[in-house]
Amino acid sequence: MAADVTLAAPLSSAAQPSSFAEFWASFRENKGAVAGLVILSLIVFTAIFADVLAPHSPLEQFRESVKLPPAWYEGGNWAFPLGTDALGRDMLSRIMHGARYSLFIGLSVMAVSIVCGVGLGLVAAFAGGWVDSAISRIMDLIVAIPSLVLAILIIAILQNPSLEKTIVAVTIVSLPRYVRLVRASALSEMGKDYVTAAKVAGVGNMRLMLRTVLPNCLAPVIVQAALGVSDAILEAAALGFLGLGAQPPTPEWGAMVGDGREFIRSEPWIVTLPGLAILVTVISINLFGDGLRDALDPKLKRS
Amino acid sequence: MIRFLIRRIALTLPTFVALMFVTFAAIRLVPGDPVEVRVGEHGISPERLAEFRHQLGLDQPVWKQFLDYVWGLFHGDFGTSVVTNQKVLTEFFTLFPATLELAFCALIFAIGIGIPAGAIAAVKRGSAYDHMLMGMSLTGYSMPIFWWGLLLVMFFSERLGWTPVSGRIDLIQYYFEPVTGFMLIDAMLSDQPGALWSALSHLALPAIVLGTIPLAIIARMTRSSMLEVLNEDYVRTARAKGLPPWRVIGLHALRNALIPVITIIGLQVGGLMGGAVLTEYIFAWPGVGHWLIDAISRRDYPALQGGIMLISSIVIIVNLFVDVLYGTVNPRIRHGR
Repeated sequence: MAADVTLAAPLSSAAQPSSFAEFWASFRENKGAVAGLVILSLIVFTAIFADVLAPHSPLEQFRESVKLPPAWYEGGNWAFPLGTDALGRDMLSRIMHGARYSLFIGLSVMAVSIVCGVGLGLVAAFAGGWVDSAISRIMDLIVAIPSLVLAILIIAILQNPSLEKTIVAVTIVSLPRYVRLVRASALSEMGKDYVTAAKVAGVGNMRLMLRTVLPNCLAPVIVQAALGVSDAILEAAALGFLGLGAQPPTPEWGAMVGDGREFIRSEPWIVTLPGLAILVTVISINLFGDGLRDALDPKLKRS
Repeated sequence: MIRFLIRRIALTLPTFVALMFVTFAAIRLVPGDPVEVRVGEHGISPERLAEFRHQLGLDQPVWKQFLDYVWGLFHGDFGTSVVTNQKVLTEFFTLFPATLELAFCALIFAIGIGIPAGAIAAVKRGSAYDHMLMGMSLTGYSMPIFWWGLLLVMFFSERLGWTPVSGRIDLIQYYFEPVTGFMLIDAMLSDQPGALWSALSHLALPAIVLGTIPLAIIARMTRSSMLEVLNEDYVRTARAKGLPPWRVIGLHALRNALIPVITIIGLQVGGLMGGAVLTEYIFAWPGVGHWLIDAISRRDYPALQGGIMLISSIVIIVNLFVDVLYGTVNPRIRHGR
């Protein structure tokens, strides 16, 4: 409950360190969340230092060692610990570099949709009237179209799928949740006394929006953002799998699963390993996000 | 009640208008002139081209085209596929039963396992079973389902040889005219021994794949909702009265715990349609999701436009229906807002 009190009052810089300590104390109690954070840190580390850590270039084709199985299987070779794909590229190096793409997509979708979502949500809450209706109905529409179908449509409009277009499509698809969240919490904050007090004190609209109300809407947004990253990664991987995301030879995990599909019978590791990488990444982000929610937003706490 | 119904319907109308506008705009935004797609690469005389444009209404001002489009929609004209030259509406509804059958079975799978599994986890809170189920649920909703589908194919079809890899039924052995479009029912009606079994074994893997995420979400939701309810006074009263535990849990607690679960189930519809695209693609399931992906790769934009219009309309209507149903069951929702 104490976290609630600090959040209910506008955050002052003096309150920051103690609220972080408090957050950390409650976060580390959650073993799953800590495990998620550790795994996620390892993945981030791998992504950042992929160039140094990876044994080979993700694009180099070793023509004489095509479709090698992982090293511990018969016929494997420790030069290629996780085997090679149909073009003789090292699976381990490709998966390590793939972490970059997935995390990059996840984080950029999150960043752009937070900025746009917070902006639109605040404008909707403050402007009210037809502006609010227009924004809310557009969000309803985005929600009504199944997200993958809408993403596919956006890619079709933008033509020539690529990593950047995947980010655009997935961002648009994930906007509504942020807009709705910010709008709802801004509306409920605006009825509170401290906002009235700020208004009476003659605070301008811009300042009221960004300095008075916004900080108090942020806790649920941060929680949503953490879980949003995992959805974005899954969505982008699905587009990659369908051939509508990152294009070959980019070592994007979803695209790697899609490209390796024809080999599931004979060389299954080409398909299983990149998919496993997606699964582990998403699980660790979800664990971390759940911990974040329990620590930051006690109201939402799952029993 | 009537007022609630009217208000809910009124709220969805602008969404429909926006949807019409977006699908209309989308087809004009996608690159490639529809006329050029239709005439192909051979090229035709300018007069024929003008005639084509006139036929498609492309020589009209844009606002007129939009009104014509809306007019067409109200008369069931969702455009014509440039590849097959068939009405989009006809194509869609020939394939839709396949998707519906798949989605329905996936949901049955998810509900049938998710609710009991979640309820038991709540009753045995903190037990090894509870932890295991929560772990599985976390894995389930973190699952890239396209990969999950391939894994299942690899194991059950390739390794064990239990289930077929693709399609809805063994077409070489069994052939019958579709009556309802639902393969399970048609197979039963056909009186061919083994047909139903063949249809079921084709359906099993796709339904499991598509049902995985809803299953994870339903199990988790049932558990947390059940935990809340188990602490309520009326459950304690029921226990104190000396009712047998299965009556307390099954009748008093579970019934109330299911209210939020039903909402969650309703919210799965959109996700199911999106998931169906991937599932149908993996299993070569001849439904609307597969058709939509094909439409993109063939640059059949009218089919894409009509398909998205139809799928989204279905999602909007189902959500409206769930909302109204929920309002009927739970008066607090109806009178709130």
